[in-house]
Amino acid sequence: MQVNGAAHELEARADESILAVLRRELGLLSVRETCGIGVCGACTVLLDGEPVSGCLLLAPLAQGCELTTVEGLGGEHPVQRAFADAHAFQCGYCTAGMILTAKRLLEDEARPSEDDVRAAMSGNLCRCGSYVKIVDAVLGAAAERAA
Amino acid sequence: MTDPRVTGSARYAEDLELPGMLHARVVRSLYPHARILGVEGSRVPSSCVVLGPDDVRELGRYGCQIQDQTVLAVDRARFVGDPVAAVAAPTLREADEAALSVDVDYEELPAVYDAVEAAAPGAPLVHDAAVAGGAAAYFAMRPQPGTNVCHRFRIRHGDVEAGFAEADVVVERTYRTAGAQHAHMEPHACVARWDSDLLELWTGTQTPFNVREDLARVFGVAEDRIRLVSPPMGGAFGAKTFVRVEAIAAALARKAGRPVKLVLPRSEEWQTLNRHPATIVVRLGARSDGTLIAKQITCYADTGAYADCGPGVAQKMGFSAPGPYRIPNVSVDAFCVYTNLPPNGAFRGYGQMQSTWASERAMDELADALGIDPLDLRLQNVLREGERYCTGETLHDVRFAECLEAAAEAIGWREGRRGKGLSLVMKGMQTPSRAAIVVEAGDDGGYVLRCATAEMGQGARHAISLLAAELLGVEPESIRFPDPDTSLVPYDTRTTSSRSTYMMGRALVEAVRDLRESGGRRGLGEVRDEGGLDPDTGQGVASTHWHQGAAAAVVDVDTETGLIAVSRLHTSTYAGRVVNRPGAELQTEGSMIMGLGTALFEEVVQLDGQVTNANLSDYPIPAFADIPVQLTHDLLEREGAEIHGLGETALPPVPPAIGNAVASLGIDLADLPMKPEAVLAAIEARQGAVA
Repeated sequence: MQVNGAAHELEARADESILAVLRRELGLLSVRETCGIGVCGACTVLLDGEPVSGCLLLAPLAQGCELTTVEGLGGEHPVQRAFADAHAFQCGYCTAGMILTAKRLLEDEARPSEDDVRAAMSGNLCRCGSYVKIVDAVLGAAAERAA
Repeated sequence: MTDPRVTGSARYAEDLELPGMLHARVVRSLYPHARILGVEGSRVPSSCVVLGPDDVRELGRYGCQIQDQTVLAVDRARFVGDPVAAVAAPTLREADEAALSVDVDYEELPAVYDAVEAAAPGAPLVHDAAVAGGAAAYFAMRPQPGTNVCHRFRIRHGDVEAGFAEADVVVERTYRTAGAQHAHMEPHACVARWDSDLLELWTGTQTPFNVREDLARVFGVAEDRIRLVSPPMGGAFGAKTFVRVEAIAAALARKAGRPVKLVLPRSEEWQTLNRHPATIVVRLGARSDGTLIAKQITCYADTGAYADCGPGVAQKMGFSAPGPYRIPNVSVDAFCVYTNLPPNGAFRGYGQMQSTWASERAMDELADALGIDPLDLRLQNVLREGERYCTGETLHDVRFAECLEAAAEAIGWREGRRGKGLSLVMKGMQTPSRAAIVVEAGDDGGYVLRCATAEMGQGARHAISLLAAELLGVEPESIRFPDPDTSLVPYDTRTTSSRSTYMMGRALVEAVRDLRESGGRRGLGEVRDEGGLDPDTGQGVASTHWHQGAAAAVVDVDTETGLIAVSRLHTSTYAGRVVNRPGAELQTEGSMIMGLGTALFEEVVQLDGQVTNANLSDYPIPAFADIPVQLTHDLLEREGAEIHGLGETALPPVPPAIGNAVASLGIDLADLPMKPEAVLAAIEARQGAVA
C-alpha cells in the first residue's frame, strides 16, 4: 500500500485494524484510538482520499490502497495552518482526524456554509469542546483558498 | 514553529515505549459485591506475569482522602469492575488472552446502588472500616461509624427553623443529578519501571505529587525514591487525578522485573472513575417582598465503592449549595456515601455542578411562587462587595450582579421571558493550597520554567509561559517548560479546580523577583493559601478566591418528541484579567458544551451495579450537531484585578439555565439529564393536573 506517498509492504494479521498497524509498523502515532467502535473519528485516515475510521478498517482491506495520515500533510498544509491560526484545539487528541475530515470536505465543497461544516464533521468528536473554533478554522481555510 | 497538535507529532503517555516493556490488562470483578474465594492463574502462559491478591496483600493501602483501597481487591470486590488480578505480557494480544484465562471464585454479597438508601441504617456495608488521611484530605473527616457515610459536612449559620417561621413563602424539592463519564479522548495510560529501588512512572496525571505520596505508602518507599513524569494529556477533566492505573502498573513492573505499560480499554473508563450522582433536598424561604430568609440543604453524594476525593466533593457540594446570596439562616448537611458502584471522583467543577443545579432551579421555583421576575429576585439577594458568606468569610472583588446582568442582556431577558432561563454560579477554588515554581536563566538568553502544573488541553502551561515572558521581558519562544517531573520541580498541590494560572502565576511573580534579587541564575517562588472549614459548623474560609459566573439559555421544546432544542447559550464569567485570550475562550466554550451534555443527555446508566452504557455509542457526548447555533460568552475584566481561573466556571450554570428556560414553558424538571422521556412525563403530568 501507499502510505503518505511512499510504498510500504507491511505484515499484519488478518484481524488487525489499520490503526494498530500504522502505529506499530510505521510509527504513525497521530492515528489514535478513543472509542474503538467507529463513532469518535480520532483514528480517521484517508483511504484513497475518503475519511474512514482506522479502528474499524481491517488492515488487509487497505491492500493496494493509498492511505493518508496527518503526518503526510507535511505541516504547512492550508488546513493545518488554518487550525493553528484559529486555535482550533485544546488537548489535540482529536485534531488529526478533524484536519483530515476537513481536508476532504474542502475538496468537495470550495466554499462550505457553517451548516455544511457541521454536517461533514459530525463524525468527529472533541471532548474538549473546541467545536466553535474548529468551524472557524474550516471556514478560514476555505476563505484563504478562495482569496 | 508549527504546533505539534496539527502535525500529528504531539506525544502523550499512551505513546511511550520502553525497551523490554510488557503490556498489562486488568481482570475485574463481575459482581457488585462479593467475597473473593480464590484467584487462579495456572492457565496463564509462562511468558506472562500474573498479579494476584497474594502479591498485594502486604502492600500499603492508598486513597487521597481515605485510605480504603488496596492495589487489587484482596478479600472483597466492591463493584463490577473492581480489579481482582492483573496480567502483563509481551504483546497486548497475549495480555488480553492471559486476562481471560485467570479464574476467580466469588461468593456474592448483598449490594446497594443508591446513596440515600446506602446512608440509611441497615444498608449493606461497603467497607467495615477505613482510615482517613493523606495530603489531599485538607479537612477533618467525619465518618459515621456503622454506616456507609464516609464523611459528613455541615454548615450552621443563624437559626434556620426561626427563619422558616418568619418566611411568607417556602419552596421545597428534591433534585437529582446523574453520574457522568469524563470521556477524555486519551484513555488512562501509564508506564512504570523499577530500577533497583527507584520507581519511575510516566503517567497522564493532574496530580503528580499526590500520586507519588500514595505510591510511597503502597510500596513502603521514601517519596524521593519515586520519580513521576506527567506528559501532556489527551483530556482529563478531573479523571486523571490521584491514583488510577499507576499502582497496578507499578506492582506488575516490580513483579515482572521489566517496564509495564497499562492503557485502559475504553469500556474500563466507566469502571475507573465517573462523576458523583447526587440527591439534593432544598428548602428555601423568603418574605413576600422577595427577601431570602432561610435555606436548608441536604446533599447525598454517591462516591461509589471507594472514597477517592468524594469527601471533598460532598463538602464542596455542601458549601456551595447556599449560592451567591445573602441568607441570614442557613443549614447544610452533606453526606459522602459509599455504594457498590464504580468509584466517583473529580469532574470539572466538582460538587459544584450538582449543587448549582439544585440551588438555581430552586431560585426560579421560589420566584414563581412569589410572582417575582427571577432576574429581579436574584439581583435583590445577590452578594455584593465586602459582604459575608454563610461560612463567615468576607468576599472581595464580587461581580455576581455584573455577570448576571450581562447574561440577561445577551438573551434579551427584559423583552420577554418565555423560553428563557438564567442562573448564577459561585465556585470555590482548592483551599488551602500551595504552588511553587523555579525560573532558571539559560546560557542562550532564554529561561527554563520548572513546575508541576500539568497540561491536559486547558492551556495553563501556555498561560504561565506568557506571564513569564511578560515578567522577564522576553519573547514567549525563549521560554522552555519541560513536562512536570517530580524529581525536578518543586511541590505543588495539584492541577485542579481552575487554580493553576492564578496560583502559579502568583508564584511566578515571586520566582522572578527572587531571580532578580539574588542576582543568580535561579529563582524560586512559592505561595501558600491558608484556609479551610470546620466540618461540623462550616465556618472558616471555604475558598481564598471565588470563581463567579452566570449563564443564559433560550430553548424550544418539541412537545411531540420531548426534545429540548437550545437555540442560544451564553455565559458571562468574571475573568479579572485574561492572560491567554484564545485559551480562555476555548476553556469557556468547552465548559459550556460539557454543561450542555450534562443538561440534556449524559448519564451513566447501571442495572444491578453493572454499567450498561459503557461505550461512546450508548453514552453520547456532545458533537457538532448538538452545539447551539448561537453559543457566545463574555469574559469580564477589570483594570488591576487578579487572574481568575476559567477552566470550569462556565459549566455549572449551564444545566440550570436550560432547566429554568424549560420551566418557563411550564415543563418543570428536577432531575438531570433532561431527557425527552422526562420532558414528556412532565407534560403529561401537567395535562393530568389540568384535567
